[in-house]
Amino acid sequence: MLESYLVRGLKAGLVAGVALGLFVAVLANPMIAAAEGLAGDHGGHHASDGSGGHHAGEGGHGGQEASGVLGVVSAPLISVVGGVFWGLLLGVLTFGLAFYFLEPAIPGTGATKSAIAAAGGFVTVSGAPWLVLPPQPPGVEQALSTDARLALYAGLMLAGLSACLLAGYVYTGLRDGGRGRALVGAAVPFCTLVGLAFVLPANPATQSLPVAFVAAFRAQVVFGQAMVWTLLAGTHAWLAAGDETDEKQFATDVGVDDPVTAD
Amino acid sequence: MATANTVHGRIESARPALTTPRVALGLTLIAILGFTLLFVQEPLVHDSLHNARHAAGITCH
Ligand SMILES: [Zn+2]
Repeated sequence: MLESYLVRGLKAGLVAGVALGLFVAVLANPMIAAAEGLAGDHGGHHASDGSGGHHAGEGGHGGQEASGVLGVVSAPLISVVGGVFWGLLLGVLTFGLAFYFLEPAIPGTGATKSAIAAAGGFVTVSGAPWLVLPPQPPGVEQALSTDARLALYAGLMLAGLSACLLAGYVYTGLRDGGRGRALVGAAVPFCTLVGLAFVLPANPATQSLPVAFVAAFRAQVVFGQAMVWTLLAGTHAWLAAGDETDEKQFATDVGVDDPVTAD
Repeated sequence: MATANTVHGRIESARPALTTPRVALGLTLIAILGFTLLFVQEPLVHDSLHNARHAAGITCH
């Protein structure tokens, strides 16, 4: 049974991953190249975060011909593959593993469960970290060092996950006392999460990029991740509905009344 | 039904399939992939995935 969940997660991840790969290739790569072109004037900013020798191929970084692994394949191309793997990873983790174990506790039925799982995944992976570290185009100077920001990003992912799990737990606990109360209760962990973002160290950014460009870049990133999670949820709900019909069909064919234990 | 439809029931019914080598292999693969995409700043890896990271809104250099 776990296996069929993992397969569904993998398939949903593949759909979302390919879409994200295309997104990186068609929209993000040109946008990032443009950002690096715009910010390129004050070159060398990359190394300024203290992680010396950060960019071995600094010269090529601002241009189109930035080289990736061994300089054989271009970096933007590897990023397209990275996008595919990002989708796969999210699919397997969220809809393979997490969904298998948490499905009984997720409110709703069918596609609603998939959508809630996707929302939780988004909050964990992107939403919570973005409260403190919003998406930035390349070439933006940030007050915190890269290492500090990576640690902060990881910590906020954990905080986002905790908020989602806690919200689910509270919602289930209060559901019998009325839906309204349950929803209010479930909102508390998320409010705490937002509050936490104000307490954490600020990360002021200085940029030479036009404000409109940064806004457009952020909108694009948000759109990309929203697309990924929508596709994950949609594909997963569709696959799950299909598999359920198959299992029922199988059960009636063979005369087994419980497809779960029949395995 | 052998196992109730609860989170606990799910863990119980998955237990036979979760042999130590499988769990270890699975977690290792996920950890390597996740870590590479999210946190590795080693120059070669970083430069290669730089665009993907910015495109996904993951904090970068
Ligand atoms: Zn970078």
